[in-house]
Amino acid sequence: MSVFEGLRFRRVSSPIHRLDPRVKFFYVCVLFVITIMFGGTINNPELLPLIVLFFIQIPFVLAAGVKREWARSMRGAAFLVAFIFAFNFIFRYIYGNYESFALLLEYSFAMALRFLVLVESFSIFFLTTSPDHLGLALEQTHVPYEFCFAFTTAVRFVPVLAEEAQTIMDAQKARGLELERGNFIKRIKNYIPLLIPLIVNAIRRSLELAEAMESRAWGATEKRTNLYVLTLKNSDYILVVLSVLMLILAVYVRLLPPIPPLTVLLHI
Amino acid sequence: MAVIETKGLTYTYPSGTKRALEDVSITIERGEFVVLTGPSGCGKTTLCRCFNGLVPHFYGGKLEGNVLVTGLNVHEHSIYELARHVGLVFQNPENQLFALSVEKDVAFGLENLGVPRDEMKKRVDWALQTTDIEDLRERAPHELSGGQQQRVAIASVLAMQPNVMVLDEPTSFLDPLGAQRIFEVINELNKNLGITVVLVEHRLDLAARYADHVIIMDEGRVMLDGKPREIFGLEKTRLMGIGIPKSTRLYQVLEKSGVHLSKVPITSEEATQILKEVLNRD
Repeated sequence: MSVFEGLRFRRVSSPIHRLDPRVKFFYVCVLFVITIMFGGTINNPELLPLIVLFFIQIPFVLAAGVKREWARSMRGAAFLVAFIFAFNFIFRYIYGNYESFALLLEYSFAMALRFLVLVESFSIFFLTTSPDHLGLALEQTHVPYEFCFAFTTAVRFVPVLAEEAQTIMDAQKARGLELERGNFIKRIKNYIPLLIPLIVNAIRRSLELAEAMESRAWGATEKRTNLYVLTLKNSDYILVVLSVLMLILAVYVRLLPPIPPLTVLLHI
Repeated sequence: MAVIETKGLTYTYPSGTKRALEDVSITIERGEFVVLTGPSGCGKTTLCRCFNGLVPHFYGGKLEGNVLVTGLNVHEHSIYELARHVGLVFQNPENQLFALSVEKDVAFGLENLGVPRDEMKKRVDWALQTTDIEDLRERAPHELSGGQQQRVAIASVLAMQPNVMVLDEPTSFLDPLGAQRIFEVINELNKNLGITVVLVEHRLDLAARYADHVIIMDEGRVMLDGKPREIFGLEKTRLMGIGIPKSTRLYQVLEKSGVHLSKVPITSEEATQILKEVLNRD
């Protein structure tokens, strides 16, 4: 069940983890906008700013102490990155309006890196924000409580359902179910005996949950209170200011004459 | 004063054809520790659900007769109103914890009631202390053992400061030691805080010693209702398939072979003492 492994949250504490999730999300959005702003054209690719964007995020990863998880998510993106590179390279090559081979390479590389920077910023967000915090952020941005509750409860039950799936798998294997047999279609069909008990159990579980919720005064008042409240701290304000500065700087750079491609700068 | 009073309670689930409860009339006094037992499918759980309005409000169906819980008529009050007075703890500890941390779970009921934050924090601390799980405060429910989860479930009900706590087979997913610990916690709540306890339980060997009132049900009816010693001592109780405490069973066997003990023992300690008296006398 390695698929579920990634969804398991771990309670870690670091300056980055303690940042307000709303602020972190704002930062990710700013980074998203900046990343989209750069990339350039086939004969004037802007690889340089993307490299800068990629590296300025590394201190975040180090400060949060999620190096290994981050590396794993980067590796996960590798296939798509390679695909984007190849796609751009091949089609631009066929299209054939590029000035030099070096520029074509740089452009394809820039497009791939742009994607990687986006993945990087989102993965930092999700690696350093506990689902707890995320749910709380949703609540405090006035998302209806039902949705927030559904979200945190879903996260809460991921490990439980993963465990249950494992138990069902063992039980069915003990009765002679062979999962790894047959062609592709047959293999998918093999999973039906796992899915049915899993779904039935999940429905039964949800009924029990509903009962327990009702017994704990669910829906007693319109104005729910909350044990935890997110408040902005100094570090949060610093990140907001930093994000805004980055955005201003990016817009300023954008308004300047186009950034020369690396190929030109390095006289290749 | 009666905390729970039912009169002629009869109920059928919307999907069912058989009556789940039939003419149940019981009275539970304030501060009592009630053990409710009977064979599986005898209506114990259904009766528990009546106490906080899950039956009929959540399950539907027609409820006949009267149920008064802390003076409130279950027909007329919604589940969340009754939840302030009656706390329900369920069988499966896993399915009654929703939050990602213990602390947040204990606060869940209070959040729903709209209790102010300062008050909430105090009550959460108090509930965690009382059930002795302060060290688990930050943990996620799935990291806990079944016994710990069940104590969290008790704490989260306790935080709402109910007058009555109804526990529906809270130990059936636990090992004997975990079960023992749960019973001790429940007993402390009953003796120290004066919370009325209704405990549905099969493990009478462990639970019977705490009871001061026993109700035995079968096929939706109340078969026996009274003091533990009287009820467990009856031959009829055993024949209904109730797992009476072993020391009580010993009493019955001795009685049949002509040895009379001075009183019906419930625990092995009692049995030992009574037997000593008998042996010294001869």
